Amino acid sequence: MITLKNVTKTYKRGEVGEVVALDDVSLDVAKGEFVFIVGPSGSGKSTLMKLLTREQRPDGGEIYVAGKNLNTLRSWKVPHLRRSIGYVFQDFKLLPNKTVFENVSFALEVIGQGGSRIDRRVPEVLDLVGLEEKHDAMPHELSGGQQQRVSIARAFVNQPRLMLCDEPTGNLDPNTSVGIMKLLDRINRTGTTVVMSTHDQQIVDTMRRRVIELEKGTVVRDQSRGVYGYAD
Amino acid sequence: MSRWLHVLREAGIGLGRNLLMTIAVVLSVAVSLTLFGAALLLSRQVDLVAGEWQGRIEVSIFLCDDARCPAITPEQQQQLRQELEAEPVVDEVFFESKQEAYERFVEQFEDQPALVETISPETLPASFRVKLTDPERFAVISDRFSAAPGVEEIVDQREFLEGFLGLANTIQTGALWVAVIQLVAGAVLIANTIRVAAFARREQTSVMKLVGASNWYIRLPFVLEGMFEGLAGAGIATGLLYLGYPFARDALAGQVSFVPIIGQDQVFSVALVLAGVGLGIAALSSVLSLQRSLDV
Repeated sequence: MITLKNVTKTYKRGEVGEVVALDDVSLDVAKGEFVFIVGPSGSGKSTLMKLLTREQRPDGGEIYVAGKNLNTLRSWKVPHLRRSIGYVFQDFKLLPNKTVFENVSFALEVIGQGGSRIDRRVPEVLDLVGLEEKHDAMPHELSGGQQQRVSIARAFVNQPRLMLCDEPTGNLDPNTSVGIMKLLDRINRTGTTVVMSTHDQQIVDTMRRRVIELEKGTVVRDQSRGVYGYAD
Repeated sequence: MSRWLHVLREAGIGLGRNLLMTIAVVLSVAVSLTLFGAALLLSRQVDLVAGEWQGRIEVSIFLCDDARCPAITPEQQQQLRQELEAEPVVDEVFFESKQEAYERFVEQFEDQPALVETISPETLPASFRVKLTDPERFAVISDRFSAAPGVEEIVDQREFLEGFLGLANTIQTGALWVAVIQLVAGAVLIANTIRVAAFARREQTSVMKLVGASNWYIRLPFVLEGMFEGLAGAGIATGLLYLGYPFARDALAGQVSFVPIIGQDQVFSVALVLAGVGLGIAALSSVLSLQRSLDV
């Protein structure tokens, strides 16, 4: 599903010179895997996410996502790449003037999906995330956990093959986070690959899934059934 | 279908969001296109006059008909013609009777029936129309024949025409330059409103990008917003030109009589040009402005 070969990304920061965000990173994520990306702030997690959606391009190396070589992908085909990726943000990024239903259906509308698919698929995915009662609620009427569920519903409504979750529990309390993780686990069980960056030690230790640890732009650990810190 | 509704709805929201700015842009575009349209109409007017006078006999010798001097006798007229034809600087001589003068006048001013009504076949003088081998040597004719019996007035139409065309060209060039400067200002204003609109909707845009909305789908509402402003400006400019036409026509008719004036319908053929220029400039400046603010 994802392959990185010797990927390097540096940012130019004016006077400071260059900041190396990713340094010669190689990794593979198979279809259907659940992967945590862990590491301190500035370790390159966000950069990795941005490279996978081609919000940014690497300075060196090759990136393949869902069978597409992102280095050679024409920019007018980038929207098609993104339709096969569901993206979940730490701060939800719901549109405040739209209802729950509209926030989710918006994702289908703007890629040209017709009314019948919306009528069928949006209630289905709102059921999946446990918000069947909240179709007409506005985002500000929801709790943080509920808002993140809407955001996951929006990411999953087009049945992507890959879900990228950028610290999805970063703004939530531990109990709420557990619910979100159960939801992501269910989505993973449908065969969807999930890549999630996180700081949340408890979650990683409980889930016991593959862990890739980044530090200063390099992979320092890649462990199946791993924990947040090194296991004793 | 719902995609198009979305695009139109978004464009509408953008226009309504900052109504004062939208009005400022539309008015600015309207002013510049009005000037541009006026310059275009003036150039059509100049073409009409120049075409009308092209190849026309350069010198008119109007003959007395008792109105302001004793009518010319047939003998005097015969003699005048012979002397004209004997003059080396004269190429050709035509006689235009009162009836012919009237018919030509009616044809020339068919767009201005009010003017035609004031004229009867008796009003216009008969004339000799003289074509010179060298139009510069008008003075030869004027010196020799002004005082001839039965001659009321000798007019060098070329001199009059050149004065008129020169003035028209100056006005036209001035109007075009002001119009161009105004158009640049309008384009910058449009680019700015589009940038403000893109900024106001940046969250929605970032979500659209990440769920895979195509580029044109994200941009089209903004471009339509700009194009609406351009088109509205062109519409107002057309209205102003249409309403202003009678005043310009009367002013021109008051300044120089016996000049044909373009019809009011010309405003509408200029309107198409204005709509095209308005839409084109708006689309161009919106697209350029989005290039920077909405890049993938």
